Amino acid sequence: MSGGVTLEQKAVSAKRGKRLSPMVYLLIAVGALAVLSLVRVLSGATDLTSSGTVQAALIAAVPIAMAALAGLWAERAGVINIGLEGMMVLGTFGAGYAGYQWGPWAGVAFGLVLGVVGGLLHAVATVTFGVDHIISGVAINLLAPGAALFLSKLYFADAPGGGQKQSPRIADAEKITIPGASDLLGTVEAKRWFFVSDLAGVLRGLTTEVSLLTVLAVALLVLTAWVLWRTPFGLRLRSCGEAPTAAESLGVNVYRYKYLAVVASGAFAGLGGAFLAVSSGQFRDGQTGGRGFIGLAAMIFGNWRPGGLATGATLFGYTDAMALRGSGAVHALLLLLGIALLVVAVIQYRAGHHVLSGVAAAIGVLFAWWYFTSDEVPPELVGAAPYVVTLLVLGLASQRLRVPRAIGVPYQRGQGV
Amino acid sequence: MSTESAAGGDPAPAVELSGITKRFPGVVANSDVDITVRAGTVHALVGENGAGKSTLMKILYGMQRPDDGTIAVAGEPVSFASPADAIRAGIGMVHQHFMLADNLTVLENVVLGSEPRAGVRLDFAAARARVREISDAYGLGVEPDRLVDDLGVGERQRVEILKVLYRGARTLILDEPTAVLVPQEVDELFGNLRDLKAEGLTILFISHKLDEVLAVADDITVMRRGTTVASVSPREVTARKLAELMVGSALPVPELRESTVTDRPVLAASGLTVTSADGRKVLDDVSFTIHAGEVLGIAGVEGNGQAELVEALMGIRVPSAGSVHLAGADITRLSTKRRREAGMGYIPEDRHRQGVLLEASLWENRVLGHQTRKPNARGPLLDRRGAKADTQRIVEQYDVRTPGIDVHAAALSGGNQQKLIVGREMSGNPVVLIAAHPTRGVDVGAQAAIWEHIRRARAERLAVLLISADLDELIGMSDTLAVILRGRLVADHDPSTVTPEQLGSAMTGAGRES
Repeated sequence: MSGGVTLEQKAVSAKRGKRLSPMVYLLIAVGALAVLSLVRVLSGATDLTSSGTVQAALIAAVPIAMAALAGLWAERAGVINIGLEGMMVLGTFGAGYAGYQWGPWAGVAFGLVLGVVGGLLHAVATVTFGVDHIISGVAINLLAPGAALFLSKLYFADAPGGGQKQSPRIADAEKITIPGASDLLGTVEAKRWFFVSDLAGVLRGLTTEVSLLTVLAVALLVLTAWVLWRTPFGLRLRSCGEAPTAAESLGVNVYRYKYLAVVASGAFAGLGGAFLAVSSGQFRDGQTGGRGFIGLAAMIFGNWRPGGLATGATLFGYTDAMALRGSGAVHALLLLLGIALLVVAVIQYRAGHHVLSGVAAAIGVLFAWWYFTSDEVPPELVGAAPYVVTLLVLGLASQRLRVPRAIGVPYQRGQGV
Repeated sequence: MSTESAAGGDPAPAVELSGITKRFPGVVANSDVDITVRAGTVHALVGENGAGKSTLMKILYGMQRPDDGTIAVAGEPVSFASPADAIRAGIGMVHQHFMLADNLTVLENVVLGSEPRAGVRLDFAAARARVREISDAYGLGVEPDRLVDDLGVGERQRVEILKVLYRGARTLILDEPTAVLVPQEVDELFGNLRDLKAEGLTILFISHKLDEVLAVADDITVMRRGTTVASVSPREVTARKLAELMVGSALPVPELRESTVTDRPVLAASGLTVTSADGRKVLDDVSFTIHAGEVLGIAGVEGNGQAELVEALMGIRVPSAGSVHLAGADITRLSTKRRREAGMGYIPEDRHRQGVLLEASLWENRVLGHQTRKPNARGPLLDRRGAKADTQRIVEQYDVRTPGIDVHAAALSGGNQQKLIVGREMSGNPVVLIAAHPTRGVDVGAQAAIWEHIRRARAERLAVLLISADLDELIGMSDTLAVILRGRLVADHDPSTVTPEQLGSAMTGAGRES
């Protein structure tokens, strides 16, 4: 029979079907922590793995992860949502408005509602009217900050403790600590042992003063993975992003699923904004600082999968936390980044991407050299560090991405076949 | 669900269409169509492209509503507002262009829209069991957990059939199912169809490949210009007779007249090797020489390096080794533009992606690829008047049926778009013509015209490289035949003696030369 053909296909599927087992992930995590630990010992920057850094990283990662989840929902249904940033801004305002009056959870809820409004706007434009997804997204990104600033002037200027560009203080959400573990780990962390103390630092960061918002975010991440990959609803939603005409031919109401997806996307983006506002204690103009876009990048880095986007968000959260720790920590980050890029270079070289490997190696060496020839990073660059690191890693770790097939394609009922 | 039983008495026809008429603005796609499909048979619907077969099937599948006429399924009159209604009545459709999501697994594709549930979860275990069960019952050999992206064309088609069976269809519509298959896969498909028939299912089979129709059908209905012109039994007709019913007149055959092959080499490739991004050799040490006045045909299952070969010859893809010579000069390093200027014409395999801009006018399409040359350019500027005049010439000489040269290419039928492309590529005194699937998806009339143009090119001493999936076309139109398998040219055949079956087995690597 058609022996030659099937043979070839088997070879292809074997290459594709390669998925890492949990054991391998664990090994990678241990390896990464060992490298971190080594860099800490070499540089003496204890902040690299301190529990405080991990806590800060978690807080910084949550809004990014929410934005990335928002992107995931929309893009899996075939709608590009570059308006995430704007929807997050609406979320921050909503959280500020309801948060200072009725408490953080009201803020979260109202932020979500405003995000949904943004999502609906995007859905009406892209799904019903077939507007180009990018244009609609950019319009929302232009509209939302303006609207938020206007409303802020309207409602916050005269509020006690508020201002033209900021809301009054919002109480923070409840935080939970695992009592025994925290103290015990704290003692181990203080010993400065290689690896053991670092592990303790990380674990302590994950068990001490964890905001309920963070817990909620993790739950939403898991819930999203379950809904999108384990339920008929999720299958139908994803089919709209892969082959809408095929879905239509099987009786799936593509418009409905796209609407639901984009509205959910808005809700997640609004949540992301609300988390940001609540965890930093108030709404401020320009608070999102491009986190919507970073979230989108994290989602792409994560190959449109929940686990992957969580990794991307953590990466950004971590570097953001380091930047907050000051220039000493960022200086140590140079060495870490150098090592990371050299690892990327080796991986890419073995995958046969020689040019990419060369670029990664060159930049890696450059960073290592920078580390060894300087004592600190200019403070002007510290704030930019998270963005630079994220960009470098996301760019150079390029992989075989599997984009939803029908993404960004305007869909009209009955146009297929 | 239909209620007829295959055995016992004279069951009601599975499907009966009577007096179906469908008008679109400006055209009547179907007028007064009558078809009766007996239960438990394979019923073939044949006709040229544009004869109205697809419209009719869309009506039967609920994708379009007839303006007039009635549909009865198993004796009961029905009216379908959507495919969902048709599915409920036990009618399923396997589309010519597969309706599959590549990034989803076979299982996900099959159950989409009618998933088995356990609570709010999708019950993957039950779904998998059901897919396996159907696959085994009809011998489809479908693996539920593979990604559709990794499947070959034949397997995808079986997934489509399984999808339809999963929804409980008793009547299957197959729209040109063999258009994308090689002969061996066609045999497998026909085996599957016979199994389905044995289980009491009814199959409506749309095709314009007559020998296949004669091989598999129990009844045949012929359509021409939107209406049914004859209902015949395969025992009573020959392929030739059927073809004449279809076209309404005698039909063209791919054949060459006296040899025009000279000993002057025009296009030569030696050791041409192309490596894909993941390091695989998709084209492996390919060498050939085409002389002036010679047509070299290349046969092969799609995806065995044909596209890469053409792209390497045209300079779209950089070969990792080997060279290309045009009339003695090394052109391996030349850009595509320079190659075209040196006289290489190219009819691409996918005319919508590479051949024309659908949303541009005909004369703009005429300029493409010739934008630096007369009559389209004057110095650095486009010569609109010259281009338009020359487009008019092509439209007349190549019989492109169009209301004018300012309409968008999308307004033309596939055959007419293809004639425009052929006309464009034959302009500007080419010395080489690379034709990749030149008659794919065009009607018989356009097919005959395109063959005639290739013959004329050969007579004008062009070197022609012909790549096609239509084995009769390859055998009839080539002076020399080569087979490409996994990136290598594996066998040469003499087109005057080789049969499609021999070519087919060489294409799959099953055997060499009898």
